[in-house]
Amino acid sequence: MKITVRRDDLVQRLAVVSRAVSTRATVQILSGILLRSAGDDLQLAATDMELSLRTTVPAQIEGDGAVVVPGRRLVELAKLLPSEEVEIEHRPEESVVHVTSGSASYTLHTYNAEDFPRLPELDAVTTFTVDREALLETVNRVARSASRDESRPVLTGILARFEAGKLVMAATDSYRLSVKETELGGQVPELEAIIPARALQELTRIAQSGDEVELGVHENQVVFSVDGIAMTTRRIDGQFPNYRQLLPESFEHELALPRNELLDVVRRAAVMIERTSPLQLRFAEGELTVTARTHEVGESKESLPAPFTGDPLEIGFNADFLRDGLESVTGDEVRFKLISPLRPAVLQGESDDFTYLVMPIRLPG
Amino acid sequence: MIVAHLDLDAFFAAVEELENPELRSKPLIVGGNPHGRGVVATANYEARRFGIHSAMSAAEALRRCPHAVFVTPRHTLYRDYSRAVWAVVREVVPTVERTGLDEGYLDVGEVASDFLAARAVAEAVQTAVRASTSLTCSLGVASCKVVAKVASDRRKPGGIVVVPAGSEAWFLAPFDVRRLPGIGPRAEERLRAAGIETIAALAALDDDGLKRLLPGSVGEMLRDRARGIDPRSLDLAAERISISVENTFERDLTDRERLHDELRRMAGELAKHLHDRGQTARTVTTKLRYADFSIRSRSTSLEVGIDDANRIAELACGLLDRGLHDRPGALRLVGVGVSGLAEYRQLTLIA
Repeated sequence: MKITVRRDDLVQRLAVVSRAVSTRATVQILSGILLRSAGDDLQLAATDMELSLRTTVPAQIEGDGAVVVPGRRLVELAKLLPSEEVEIEHRPEESVVHVTSGSASYTLHTYNAEDFPRLPELDAVTTFTVDREALLETVNRVARSASRDESRPVLTGILARFEAGKLVMAATDSYRLSVKETELGGQVPELEAIIPARALQELTRIAQSGDEVELGVHENQVVFSVDGIAMTTRRIDGQFPNYRQLLPESFEHELALPRNELLDVVRRAAVMIERTSPLQLRFAEGELTVTARTHEVGESKESLPAPFTGDPLEIGFNADFLRDGLESVTGDEVRFKLISPLRPAVLQGESDDFTYLVMPIRLPG
Repeated sequence: MIVAHLDLDAFFAAVEELENPELRSKPLIVGGNPHGRGVVATANYEARRFGIHSAMSAAEALRRCPHAVFVTPRHTLYRDYSRAVWAVVREVVPTVERTGLDEGYLDVGEVASDFLAARAVAEAVQTAVRASTSLTCSLGVASCKVVAKVASDRRKPGGIVVVPAGSEAWFLAPFDVRRLPGIGPRAEERLRAAGIETIAALAALDDDGLKRLLPGSVGEMLRDRARGIDPRSLDLAAERISISVENTFERDLTDRERLHDELRRMAGELAKHLHDRGQTARTVTTKLRYADFSIRSRSTSLEVGIDDANRIAELACGLLDRGLHDRPGALRLVGVGVSGLAEYRQLTLIA
């Protein structure tokens, strides 16, 4: 098999599939990218067994074949090739590919394409389309609340629920919860799936253009197709927490605060503390004071006016979690809803379609 | 040095009695389920009259005293009381090394120049603690930690025992060796097998005999302690940065289930330490020592601290699996450690 392809096309498409190349060294072949002839297209594919990415590059191809080439190496060198045209020749009998471009030539050892894992079928079930921007926006608003702790698989996923006219996504690491509802035009089937947050975050990076994303929800997999790229990801098994039950029905206090100002205060205070130590928020008549204190570093204190009335309330939050919340709501004002120092607090922005709930830190003493 | 060891009397039980005064006249046991495999954490003095003591199985406690009241521990509550106690103690003696929720060492030398004054300080501490929390405590005052610790246990509840400088060895002499801090079950067994029953007998061992029974530096340290010699100063950085437990197997182990069981047991121990200290940990480390003595460790850090035995166990077992995946082999030792300790607690939405 001999492939001739434009360098810039190759580089751009390799950059996409390489996001699924496994970074763990345990299974060698997963660090490779599969190249396969398909008429006038060169197919590229990579998978880390959880996520797979496939796309094509227009090419002239002599002969049929498939081969797995070390992924990172190929990506790095493709970027640096001197000529606009690249020739890739696979010599199965030697288990190598020759890459030539202008004056440069390389010989890369390859893996056997038969050893590459079988990727999930793309067209096994019916699919539907969703507005790309609406989908990505929804992911971006909730993804930060997903857990990165692999020992609790369900929480590393984002719950995606499609229902009449809307998409709801929810994510929680058990310390905070983000829920976003997004209006959708067009017809979508009613369905629910827990999708790895990591995969959806990759999707937001990959799906840079196109109006719509095509979705196919299979029994164990979800397929996203956009802009000539197909991404599959496994679905996470299990029961997602019933987040509606976790949202308090009523609050003791609800204050509108200037979002950017509060965000700046929180960012400044966070400089003073360790990643997970608490920020202390003291709400008193007409005022909110944010304090950060550590034995090692020192103390910071800053106040801003706040429409608070009643007995003072002192509550602690993880600075990162609070900052994430303030960053994920939109609008000039944030609505800060509180019950008591040991009960959840809720942040909402200009509209009710997004809710960020955060659990406090119980302060010592 | 004049140091006091303070020990709250039947702490968990005393807190439960304060929270629910009608329990005061009844035998009260704080601990696990008596119909399951729970153990006694603390028994009040009423219950102790039936021979019930901490670490006894709750089922046995129930047998000895069928009309006892059993309550499950409420650690959050105990932590709050503990904080209040140590806050008042610090008002009397500013330098304190807390070794648990209910015990710690006080640098009495800082506020008292002799043992007579030290007794007055100990009394002041007792009074202050009782006045502000209604809890009683016992104190041992001595020239070193080990003697102070043994002394605090002599006149419980509500007692003060002062061992003036010079009389340490004489004070320790008659007690059972088991009472000497640092003597574990294995050392005790070896000493008893050699006919050494009292601290005095341990103190009197010559070098050869000591080497035979308790080889290594540990033996010398324990004999020193038995003689009332303990060079440890107060550990003021006692806000410890890590806690770990490990166990060497009699025979190298490959059975994954047994290794997991072992890790789960250790995770339970660590969780108890964390509870006692009112802390959470952000990092869990599993240590593996292979048959060839080489050591590997794997750790994982979480966004927020945990203190739950199951979570620690889950993570520790996952790390063991990862370690054995990277390098298979029989293990002669496994250990679990937690670090990234903090006093505050991130609350969770979902258990």
